Amino acid sequence: MKMTNFRMLFVLCLLVPGWLACLSMRPDFDLVGEIPDRPIVDEERLQRFELSNGLNVLLLEDHRFPKISMGVSTRRGGATEALSEAGVSSLMTEVMERGAGKRDALALAEAVDGLGASLGVMPGWDSITVYISGLSRDESELLAILRDVVRAPRFEEDEIERARREQLAVIGRSKDDPASLVRQHFTETMFPGHRYGVPMIGSADSVPTLDQQKLRACYDRVFNARSAILFVSGDFDAAQLRQDLEAAFGDWREGQVAPAVEAPPAIFPEAQHIVVVDRPELVQSRIMLGHEGMSRSNDLRVVNGIMNGILGGNGFSSRLMRKIRSDEGLTYGVYSGVAMRRQPGAFQVSTFTRVPETRRVVDLILEEIRGMQDSPPDEEMVGKAKSYDIGRFSLGLETTGAVLSSLVDLEIHDLPENSLDTYRQRVRVLSAADVAEEARRFLHPDRMGIVVVGPASELVPQLESLGSVEVITP
Amino acid sequence: MFKETRYSLLVLFAVCLSGLAFPAQALDDPTLRTEITKLDNGLTVLLLEDHATPVVAFQMWVGAGSRDEHRYTGIAHLFEHMMFKGSKHIGPEEHARLIEAYGGRVNAYTSRDRTVYHEDIPAEALPLVIALEAERVAHLDINQATLDSEREVVLEERRMRTEDNPQGLALEALLATRFVAHPYRWPVIGWRSDVEQVTLEACQEFFAHYYAPNNLVLVVVGDFASEEVLADIRREFGKLKPSAEVPRNPTVEPEQNGERRTQVYFDLESPIFAAAWHAPAAGHPDSITLDVIGELLSAGRSSRLYRRLVYEEEQALSASGGYWEMKDDGLFYAFAGVRPDGSVVRVEELFFDEVRKLREEAISQAELEKSKRQIEVRLVMGQEMNHALAARIGSDFTTLGRIRPLEEQLAILEAVSAEDVQRVAQKYLIEKHRSVVRVIPRPNPGALAPVDEAKGGEAR
Repeated sequence: MKMTNFRMLFVLCLLVPGWLACLSMRPDFDLVGEIPDRPIVDEERLQRFELSNGLNVLLLEDHRFPKISMGVSTRRGGATEALSEAGVSSLMTEVMERGAGKRDALALAEAVDGLGASLGVMPGWDSITVYISGLSRDESELLAILRDVVRAPRFEEDEIERARREQLAVIGRSKDDPASLVRQHFTETMFPGHRYGVPMIGSADSVPTLDQQKLRACYDRVFNARSAILFVSGDFDAAQLRQDLEAAFGDWREGQVAPAVEAPPAIFPEAQHIVVVDRPELVQSRIMLGHEGMSRSNDLRVVNGIMNGILGGNGFSSRLMRKIRSDEGLTYGVYSGVAMRRQPGAFQVSTFTRVPETRRVVDLILEEIRGMQDSPPDEEMVGKAKSYDIGRFSLGLETTGAVLSSLVDLEIHDLPENSLDTYRQRVRVLSAADVAEEARRFLHPDRMGIVVVGPASELVPQLESLGSVEVITP
Repeated sequence: MFKETRYSLLVLFAVCLSGLAFPAQALDDPTLRTEITKLDNGLTVLLLEDHATPVVAFQMWVGAGSRDEHRYTGIAHLFEHMMFKGSKHIGPEEHARLIEAYGGRVNAYTSRDRTVYHEDIPAEALPLVIALEAERVAHLDINQATLDSEREVVLEERRMRTEDNPQGLALEALLATRFVAHPYRWPVIGWRSDVEQVTLEACQEFFAHYYAPNNLVLVVVGDFASEEVLADIRREFGKLKPSAEVPRNPTVEPEQNGERRTQVYFDLESPIFAAAWHAPAAGHPDSITLDVIGELLSAGRSSRLYRRLVYEEEQALSASGGYWEMKDDGLFYAFAGVRPDGSVVRVEELFFDEVRKLREEAISQAELEKSKRQIEVRLVMGQEMNHALAARIGSDFTTLGRIRPLEEQLAILEAVSAEDVQRVAQKYLIEKHRSVVRVIPRPNPGALAPVDEAKGGEAR
């Protein structure tokens, strides 16, 4: 029906050639019907229950493909490490993949690869996840491996030493990658003296001190039935699986959830604080700037997400991309967002540009941030950003595994379990006034940490009129 | 457009694997239901209706890649960017914004053989995407201002991916060493001087030759009614005129008769080792065996390269090898990140020793079965998203002219024997067909003596 309008316009143009204006008039591309809110979680296929030791279990069935994914996520992650032991979760997770139960490193690798399966133990700030996936016909072998890796990691001395050497080598290599360098120094600038200020993988100072005792202590702190969530998605018989899970995990020690990380010290810069990380050979500078953000459970995160989307989170629809890439051709990509964690992560804008244009790009970013406060988006722009957000939210939940991991994430952050179903409505009620208020409250363009990686000899002269510049040699 | 030019070896490896095999158990192969339609103007339409999720993947596969360039390298990729810079009724980047307004994901990539524009959208937005895609093919409107601005964007992309990136430098040098004649020798993103000088006329000529319906394939997978969608496509794309000529470069890569070596200096801690052997073009009977070899070298912690280079010898942080198939030719690659305290010379020795073993020693039945199993499972795991299904359909059809049924691929995979692995290794993984690249730290600027190659490598 909408197409008819489109074609009518053209016909009209042909019939009235004198009406020149219509030649440049845009045809009606309003071709999208109303998109209904479909239920995110099919309750018929979802089961939530506890094992006899209190371990929370989530099952989500999907028989379309002969595959199964299962895992255990903990309610605490790398953020609970002491700063002096930064990197212990990374080392622990690596060594968990190097031997468990009766199998040493090689035997475990052969068992996983022999099933064509994928095993991963991944450290995050708020959670550590052990995950295995493969064909559903291998369900019992996959579960046995998951059980061993979660409950009986071997933490052999020799493997710890090998993995520690590797972790130090990875830290050494990070100097080669401008993107990791800028991230690392940005977080250091944002969170001095805090665990968030050192990368998850740790530092060249902390990692050499990590030993078996510290790995075991880390393991004991986060891996127990009360601290964990067990989840399975895919093609399985739920009744049978329930019994198998009880047999594999029902007698795991109950334990308790470790205390959460302390709030970061509020020592964000009071004026522009500029750090230049000197890499003399680079032809492109990497730029990150920002200030304090907000926590994953903050009620303002929804309106903040819409505000940030308009500023720099929504691809070509965002202001930063339009100005710096589309109009000025100064970069290939520019993004803004908040690192959402249990405790407030940082608000950050990141981009890159040819070295001589660095200052101009920094100025344009600051100008766009101020613009969110001085000329906030109108209802139409906010409407588009809301529609973007709602649509992207649904697309992101296309697979059964994505739905289940979103449900697990809610559990980890103690958020209401119906949050996925209520999300779209919480976006819809937002107005342009709400977004403007959030921009005024949240953004601080005059007191930002600004970190740039590139040749200091060219960057410092560009940046020093903006504020005090500190130069670091990586 | 802003994510991929798809010259990452790993990405390509994954792409080539995704079309190869399926599990031993009965598996529904949705691609068997693909409906193939060819319009009068030569446009091919591949529709796979599937109502499992309210999501649609729309992809437009253009038979033009960097292999089709002449005069200006990088024009295929730069042109891909220009497709987002506006048409008669749509301003620059409006195409992307109109789709993003519904949360849709919109992007594109260029490879050596093709350019693919892809959208993942809520089902209700499909009519919009069809109209928008036809609009830019029928009425693309680019000018000197948008070209000059986008040229700078591409140069930033080139700095990011290649000029400041050791892996990117290694890959660029590897292809330039492996190929001396065929257009595969230049990077998809193009040489800097060419990108700086591409003209508007050259862009328009490229558009006229390659963006014609007889050189396009549309792939649509997901929640829609096929008849309605076909009617929409006919109405929107049916009026496009086919191009009389789709020019192709005639050059065939001559046989290599001796090892080639390239060294690149860069400010880095962790050197890169890369190598490439001649391998056949896509669709060759030996392709599947080369994939099995890639798998046993690279897949998982029990793989030969991980065990030897990363785990036992602690020389590398990562090491992989695999078959990279292209339309006109192919290669088998080696890629390793050397530890800051390791030696690139030692990594090379270890890598080539593993390749020697493939030629000289028969692999065990157990290891063969493991590698086949890994390929099978990866395929099953990758069938859930419409985007991946559309990519498999598009890749098969544009490379081989048909969609390979999973059953057929399984049968071919199952037939690979230990003897095949050894025969194929002996045929392709040989020294005279080898090209080697090292990216290593710049030698001490104070040193005036000529740089000894092995020593320069050993420094790191």
